Amino acid sequence: MSETVMQIRDLGLEFPTPRTLVDVIRRRPARVVRALNGVSLTLEKGETLGVVGESGCGKSTLARCIVRLYKPQHGGIHYRGEDIFASESKHDRDYNRRVQMMFQDPYSSLNPRMSAGQILEEALRVHGMRPEKEIPARVAELLDLVRLPQDAAAKLPHEFSGGQRQRIAIARALAVEPEVLIADELVSALDVSVQAQVVNLLLTLQEELDLTILFVAHDLRLVRHVSNRVAVIYLGRIVEIGDSETLFASPSHPYSQALLSAAPSLDPDEKGNAIRLEGELPSPLNVPPGCPFHVRCPHATDICRKDVPALRPIEGRGEVACHHAEEVKHHA
Amino acid sequence: MTTQTILDVKGLSTTFARGNSALKAVRDVSFSVREGEVLGLVGESGSGKSVTLRSLLGLSRRYGKVSGEVRWMGQDILSLPERKLRPIRGGEIAMIFQEPMTSLNPLLTVGVQLTETLKAHTDLGRAARRDRAIEMLDHVGIPDPASRLDAYPHQFSGGMRQRVMIAIALAAEPKLLLADEPTTALDVTIQAQILDLILSLADEMNMGVILVTHDLGVVAQTCENVAVMYAGRIVEQGPVRQVLRAPRHPYTEGLMRSVPQDVPPRTQLYSVPGTPPGLDALPTGCAFAPRCQNVKDICRTERPPLAAISTARLAACFNPVCNSMEASR
Repeated sequence: MSETVMQIRDLGLEFPTPRTLVDVIRRRPARVVRALNGVSLTLEKGETLGVVGESGCGKSTLARCIVRLYKPQHGGIHYRGEDIFASESKHDRDYNRRVQMMFQDPYSSLNPRMSAGQILEEALRVHGMRPEKEIPARVAELLDLVRLPQDAAAKLPHEFSGGQRQRIAIARALAVEPEVLIADELVSALDVSVQAQVVNLLLTLQEELDLTILFVAHDLRLVRHVSNRVAVIYLGRIVEIGDSETLFASPSHPYSQALLSAAPSLDPDEKGNAIRLEGELPSPLNVPPGCPFHVRCPHATDICRKDVPALRPIEGRGEVACHHAEEVKHHA
Repeated sequence: MTTQTILDVKGLSTTFARGNSALKAVRDVSFSVREGEVLGLVGESGSGKSVTLRSLLGLSRRYGKVSGEVRWMGQDILSLPERKLRPIRGGEIAMIFQEPMTSLNPLLTVGVQLTETLKAHTDLGRAARRDRAIEMLDHVGIPDPASRLDAYPHQFSGGMRQRVMIAIALAAEPKLLLADEPTTALDVTIQAQILDLILSLADEMNMGVILVTHDLGVVAQTCENVAVMYAGRIVEQGPVRQVLRAPRHPYTEGLMRSVPQDVPPRTQLYSVPGTPPGLDALPTGCAFAPRCQNVKDICRTERPPLAAISTARLAACFNPVCNSMEASR
């Protein structure tokens, strides 16, 4: 049986927007962006959980909450049974070491004035991973691990290509021997041919080091390829979560169906089955009542406009948050 | 049935000066577009696809040296002075850009930006321009167009802004639309809407489209013909079905295979080794040779010309990928 590494329960996070002068004069209350509205999920040891959704749905916010860049207002995250927001400085640093994040933009997430070697050394020193004299050897080992040449240690980030920079970011995360990696759009900024190299590396390292990965991305094909399980997020809520192959082969939630069918196929003759969504993602400033998807949903009925559907298990599928999950047949 | 060729590009090259060296962003690119044809231009970042598009309309010539021949309806527009180019640019050939956020003027209402185009390229009166602007917004699927005319770009979402861009581009009923990554900044569900819109409008107005993208899926779903660019040159060209089903250039094959589709999950993906070369340090011979699996000695010393390999198909390779019994040349 797999062991649960991380338990996220009912996570809610709101960002207040600053009141404008007009708001103050008209005595309008400050508005809030509801980025996360009760997200619950678990991460099992050694698995890859893919998180997909449109921009603004809260997938990056979720990733940032997990590494404590944001503190949620509701719910909590437990890592191996311990609440990560109940701060005890000693455990703090230990948690930071064991859960590492890698960012989307390889151009702004590395300090441009530090060489690749210094970036890795810093990570090793801060967490006291190795005695001082073993550090150079460990840096060499890490470069080797991510398939970078040894002379890379002396180079500055601008001397590397995008793909190589993401390798440095991976090496930096792995330097401190983490258990969980949070990959926020790790390969989105890379070209297709380079993307494949980084994904291959990630899969190999996961195998070798028994890593647990939360893979946030908007490229559905890629998420399908790397994930064991997938969570589909819409307006700060999980609408469907389940085994990657089942979910992609026969999505149950109307939103997952539309999202998956919108990804253009490589086969020129495979068209016509796409479900076209009307309209766009509502603003998180103004989340619709009831099911947040009902304004765009082709299957919406009265109950959808009133009650928020809970995430519930469906036989033979994963968990789906839809009042009509049983009736909605998959269109694939 | 033969339709008329509206754009004919021959030997287009664009060179930018950098210090004492020259960056050859586009090298000897030739293609043509027929009436109502949708041509895809694919390649990775830095392969010269956007610069090609900009060079067609004379947008690169302020910064770089453009040579070759671009014939629009039989007239060479590359040598045309700015003044004479102006009625064509925006009127007969329109362009939409990747970022709807930065390509609209944030200080002017959408209506002003739409009627501006109409004023420049049509002889409609003031009231007629306004009516036409409302009609265009309605056409691209913006709800309540009459009131949205007075809205500013920031009041629209990304997808809606791209629709406004399309409305502006199509206002003067161009014969050719240059679309530079029109959906890259948008979500997949919105991407599908926008591509559908461009295609149906192109069909309706019998307008040619050059669609620049890096997404092979988008090409597969929208284009009839495709040209694959690598390091400033077209390396393979032909009908979409044939090129994507049976790529002949090893680069095209590599691109196709690195997309995770129809491969067992969590297995190693095929990846093209190495990274694209810098434009200032191109290898002699074939630019793809250092990354190529089919490389032969001749590839390192001589550059393969873009030549016909079968009817309607071109590839620039000495040792193309074999899908049939056809032997390498």
